[in-house]
Amino acid sequence: MRKLLLSLLVVALCTPMMAGAKKQADKDTQQFRYDIECAGNAVQGTYLVKVWSYSKKANIAENQCRKNAVHGVIFKGYGGGQGCVSQRPMANMPGVETQYKEYFDSFFAEGGEYQKYASIIEGSTEVVKVGKEYKVGKIVSVRKDELRKALEAAGIIKGLNSGF
Amino acid sequence: MKKYIFTLAMMLVALVASAQIKKPEIMVIPSDVWCISNGYYTEVENMGMTTKVPNYKQALQENMGLKLAIAKINDLMAERQFPLKSLEQTLKNIEQQRMEDNLTMSKSGNELAESPLDEVARMAKADIILELSWEMKDFGPKHSLTYILEARDAYTAKTIGSSAGTGAPSISADVDVLLEEAIVANMDNLNNRLMDHFTEMQNIGREISLDIKVFANNSRGIDLESEFGGEELVDLIETWLQLNTVQGRFTREYSSENVARFTQVRIPVYDERGRAIDANGFAKQLTKHFKGEPFYIPAKVLVKGLGRAVIVLGEK
Repeated sequence: MRKLLLSLLVVALCTPMMAGAKKQADKDTQQFRYDIECAGNAVQGTYLVKVWSYSKKANIAENQCRKNAVHGVIFKGYGGGQGCVSQRPMANMPGVETQYKEYFDSFFAEGGEYQKYASIIEGSTEVVKVGKEYKVGKIVSVRKDELRKALEAAGIIKGLNSGF
Repeated sequence: MKKYIFTLAMMLVALVASAQIKKPEIMVIPSDVWCISNGYYTEVENMGMTTKVPNYKQALQENMGLKLAIAKINDLMAERQFPLKSLEQTLKNIEQQRMEDNLTMSKSGNELAESPLDEVARMAKADIILELSWEMKDFGPKHSLTYILEARDAYTAKTIGSSAGTGAPSISADVDVLLEEAIVANMDNLNNRLMDHFTEMQNIGREISLDIKVFANNSRGIDLESEFGGEELVDLIETWLQLNTVQGRFTREYSSENVARFTQVRIPVYDERGRAIDANGFAKQLTKHFKGEPFYIPAKVLVKGLGRAVIVLGEK
């Protein structure tokens, strides 16, 4: 009986904490606060990017890196230099994010489709404390060919052979 | 009933076909500078001057790196549903065609007539040319690859876009590995430029240039300042261009009584019958207009490639 009460107490205490963490994560995700840079030449069909995500909690920033990498490839692009080639954003028409808000809300939702297109390179994590928050850097491999095909299929971007 | 359905189906097919623009053909060729610096050229005597002309056949037969680069670019373009036209196959076809033409004779022993201009037009096979160059550079024990891929519109010879850069230095990687790496890293940027070009072409037509000249002492006794209904011929030509170019886009670069030069002329990709047109086709439409009432001006159209035409007025 005591064990049961203890378990219930633990659950009751943890739930608001988890909900708070999720809320913080959602807030940071919605803002898409990150920097993206080239991390080297990747294998065919992928981009290798380094993403720096910001949050008050290091683990949240860490979790956001995959999402931010995909977001960056679609909407931001990144600069080149030192053997790296700069890339234009995949969806470079103004207002595209707002125009397809419903699609992207579901795409970038927790456990959303974005996960299919990004994987973290193990051992690439860097954590820097900047004032009251953490800046977490990770190298992410983004499967850009598959991502482009998905966006073309959804009618968000045009294929090279569209109109012919 | 069956006939009705068949006619309806045919109309639907024609409608779908006419709504689409002919897919431009793209071909990769090694650049002149690459061919010459690697010894793949032949020397041609031209009016007392020796000119180096790239020998693509020799380059393809002797340089494995070139074949690998073309295969890799083709692979990446095919992935975007845009397979390339093969340079090697085109060269073989031209050779085969030339051999067949040489063997073709009429019963009375006459050979086929082909002017040098016909041959130039026959050789211009692709709509877009991708010119490829690369060079290895050594920095002590390390070496890196400098790479340029430039897309050119075969109609106007204008650059559509290019991707260029020097890769990260490496000690162990050989030229083929570095070349493949450079192509993979740079191809998306070039495709973005191609995409911009295609969008522009679909929106505002193909770009050509048009020269109008007059035969001296022609039988009609006209020049570009001759008046028809109170208007000079050159102004009437301009009015025709205004009506027949996409959004009235063209520039009168120069005009005199004997010569008028129109540049940045944006022609529709298709004529009213749904056929793809180039500078030659567009020039023929113009001459047809001025052959009729009230002008009755005979004219000759000279083909100068896909994107340039010369019309000579006064005689055929």
